[in-house]
Amino acid sequence: MKRVQFTNASLPYLLLLPQLAIIVIFFYWPSAQAIQSSFYLEDPFGFGSTFVGMENYTDVLGSNEYASIARFTIAFTLLVTFLSLSIALLLAVKADAVLKGSSTYKTLLMWVYAVAPPVAGLMGVMFFDMHIGPFLKVAAFFGWDFKIGLNYFDTAFAMVVIAVWKQIPYNFIFFLSGLQAIPKSVREASMIDCRSGFRRFWSIILPLLAPTAFFLLIINMTYSLFDTFGIVDVVVKDKAANNPITLVYKVYMDGFRGGDLGGSSAQSVILMLVVFVLTIFQFRFIERRVHYG
Amino acid sequence: MAYRKTVASLVAAAALLGTSNVSFAATEISWWHGMGGRNQEVINEISEKFNASQDACHLTPLSKGTYEEALNSGIAAFRAGEQPNILQVFDAGAATIINAKGAVVPAEDLIKDAGHEFSRDAFIDGVRYFYADKDGKFIGMPFNSSAPIMYINDEALKKAGVEAPKTWEEFETIAPKLKEAGFIPLVQSQLTWEFTENFFSRHNLQFATNNNGYDGVKDTKILVNTPEHKMMYSKLKEWYDNGFFGYYGAGWSDNQKPFEENKVAFWIGSSGSFGGLQKSAQMPFSATFLPYWSSVEGAGTNSFIGGAALFAFAKKPKEENDCTASFFQFLTSAEIQYFWHKSTGYVPITKAAYEMAQEQGYYKETPQAEVGIQQLMLKGGEWSKGYRMGFYPQIREIMEREYNKIFANETSVDDAMKTIEEEGNKLLERFAKTAG
Amino acid sequence: MYKSKLSDHLILILGSVLMIGPVLIVFLTSTHDAVEVHRFGLMASWGDHFTETYNKVLFKEGGFTGQVTGVRMLINSLILGIGFGIGKIVLSMLAAYAIVYFRFRMGTFFFWVIFTTLLLPLEVRIMPSYEVVQQLGMLNSYSGMIVPLLASATGTFYFRQFFKSVPDELLEAARIDGAGPFKFFIDILVPTSKTMIAAIFIIMFVYGWNQYLWPMMMTNDEAHFTLVRGIKQILLVWVGSQIPEYNEAFALAVLAMLPPVLVVLIFQSWFIKGLTESDK
Repeated sequence: MKRVQFTNASLPYLLLLPQLAIIVIFFYWPSAQAIQSSFYLEDPFGFGSTFVGMENYTDVLGSNEYASIARFTIAFTLLVTFLSLSIALLLAVKADAVLKGSSTYKTLLMWVYAVAPPVAGLMGVMFFDMHIGPFLKVAAFFGWDFKIGLNYFDTAFAMVVIAVWKQIPYNFIFFLSGLQAIPKSVREASMIDCRSGFRRFWSIILPLLAPTAFFLLIINMTYSLFDTFGIVDVVVKDKAANNPITLVYKVYMDGFRGGDLGGSSAQSVILMLVVFVLTIFQFRFIERRVHYG
Repeated sequence: MAYRKTVASLVAAAALLGTSNVSFAATEISWWHGMGGRNQEVINEISEKFNASQDACHLTPLSKGTYEEALNSGIAAFRAGEQPNILQVFDAGAATIINAKGAVVPAEDLIKDAGHEFSRDAFIDGVRYFYADKDGKFIGMPFNSSAPIMYINDEALKKAGVEAPKTWEEFETIAPKLKEAGFIPLVQSQLTWEFTENFFSRHNLQFATNNNGYDGVKDTKILVNTPEHKMMYSKLKEWYDNGFFGYYGAGWSDNQKPFEENKVAFWIGSSGSFGGLQKSAQMPFSATFLPYWSSVEGAGTNSFIGGAALFAFAKKPKEENDCTASFFQFLTSAEIQYFWHKSTGYVPITKAAYEMAQEQGYYKETPQAEVGIQQLMLKGGEWSKGYRMGFYPQIREIMEREYNKIFANETSVDDAMKTIEEEGNKLLERFAKTAG
Repeated sequence: MYKSKLSDHLILILGSVLMIGPVLIVFLTSTHDAVEVHRFGLMASWGDHFTETYNKVLFKEGGFTGQVTGVRMLINSLILGIGFGIGKIVLSMLAAYAIVYFRFRMGTFFFWVIFTTLLLPLEVRIMPSYEVVQQLGMLNSYSGMIVPLLASATGTFYFRQFFKSVPDELLEAARIDGAGPFKFFIDILVPTSKTMIAAIFIIMFVYGWNQYLWPMMMTNDEAHFTLVRGIKQILLVWVGSQIPEYNEAFALAVLAMLPPVLVVLIFQSWFIKGLTESDK
């Protein structure tokens, strides 16, 4: 917390009001209804419904299928978060360091973020296509018989690559903005203190970047968990079969496609609780090591 | 043309302002669908024709994304009282809307209430029961319908010196020759639709208890774990192991591709697939019925339709419902059905439209277009009318998962069918509670 | 000053190629015809349908009402992108300012109230959200398309992170000069946050620009079509029956990329300025 703060009785509430009003109306109110429906089995049009207590939860948690989807989701989230963060950080540090061509690099690296998601997904799928994908040649060069849609690992590989590729520019933009905010005087001082580039980065730049990095860690985790269902859908060609899928895709299949509001709500609540616990953990144990200013 | 566009946009603008009473006082009705590309253009053309054919009603179609997105848009809108007059719902999702008693006005009632004649016999047998209730009353109006048929690579047959099979027994005898000639004898594109659902229809076998699910949701059980159905999949697996059957996963296009590339002799696709194949196939092709096992008694009945139907939402004013009824009448007229059939490749749903297509010589130029409808007009059986199971999209997903596992040697046919039965029945049980 | 090494450039060039190469491929593929794309997949060569395809996607009057034109979709997407970007920055800066710079009991609590919105995506609560929007009479309007999407924590969380790392001396000095909360915010904090604002604007603009499901669900006419919806519409062809116009979808995607890239180019200059501004 800040050493100095304003003390004003009503102003902070006033400043928070617009954001809170929108959140209460458009998030908490609908969410409460979604949570309520997790205790019912109802027809989506709202004619019949049966109160089933915890049955939707026990049905989900008791299924082997759900457990294996959960395992894949964890692996997927860890991989996507780690890879997209580290690659973006490397690129941002380098783009921040070079003088010549720096703005060209920055533009090029941010560009992909602008590709419309359906086309980005389609392109990824065409790249990895089981019959005509250019990637088959690359894989064959290493003796890898790449079979997307048939081989669990290969399908997962394609999903991770596309998800990481799509997320790198996002992280790049934020890392770069974080780096740019480091005062020149600090950098110059660090040049004198640490001659080794790596040590300078590790002991001076990274700690200064920590607030941004912590933010990105949380956001990337929620990205991998929640925002990648479009990628999963396009990679499995809307037929999950025995291919890897993530938990939120399962929510989509059951709720959106299958009309099982109760079951899919229960799955969302489970997901929400798990992520909530995870973030609290991160705030308590990781944020403690983040030094703000 | 330009004038008509202006009028159309004026009407749309007026509808936006909520003042539908413009000078000519046409009743506005809306239609949400899940189609894009060429099919959407044809939908727009049909709507324009309807609007031009009379003054009392004005129909505005709107694409609402995919089938799933359209269905969910419709559901959300219905709950909020903002529903369109007509919603297109896909085959596997039909049970959801049909079982929500009160969400829709049965198409048949709608048409009769508006004072029109309605004859169930005008419709092709394979079409008329699928979206109907157990007494045969039309709940949804079949719209885009197709049947699974077998496409034939003419070049492959010539090279191997064989004829296209009518039955799977015949297929077994010629498969080695096709393989020898350098072709994969058989590929399909959707096991659930082509080798499960339509296995039951083509062999006149019961697919679910409670009269295939038509008699009610309580205690409906799926009957996939049966000797005949298991035999079909054991054979597929055996063919796969011997190189007589190619399997490229659950994706439709991944399986269609090798046929287009002239690597495959027979491909089981949709009766609507020929339009795309004419552009993409690298060899001459023809089509015939989906084969069956002659060893199964009573086999050779008509297949189920796939595709989607139109449903008229409830809680709409009488004059709008009357307009919807007029549109359904217009849509099922022979001219429009023939136009739809020709432009999109979907089958016409009335006998009159089929006769018109024959008279006009359409099937002389495109013989493949006739196969689907002929298959739907084959003799019907007790179990080839249709099936109705709740949460069926999820049940299909379970099947897709288990079938993939069969070909990946991760499970046996026996275990797969047992799993589908168990998990499927559990879903059906859950669905029964949503009606409670 | 740090001297850039060859290896830095090599890493950046490799990164740029991997990131931008696919974009180039999208462009090249869009110049071929649909059947070719269907048959051979992605293209790395120049096709001969460039003018035809681009002419079509830009000027064709699509849809039933003829309102689905490239220009109309572009305008709608711009409204969504700009509205969302600005709305997000204003709301979240104010909220983060309150949480970090004011001493009041509920600060942490409110942060968590806002933060929780990250945990339940819109797709999951889309049915009840639709009902809320309908009750407020916001169906089929731009505000209905934008405002519900603003109920998320990304911006607030981000500005909280940045405000916390702004040196305390800044506020101390300002208070000595007699600056109140408003003056400090407008004259000092906002200029200091320029780089952050630029970053969040780029991200949020593109986020709004690319929205599909929500705007699609709650609008009932073709006048509200966005570019992404136009792209989806083209691809919305069942491959079992017809060949989608891949080239048109790709061409539309190339065009849809230009405005966000322009935003990147404009705001990129703020990235450099931010450096000197915070050079206290």
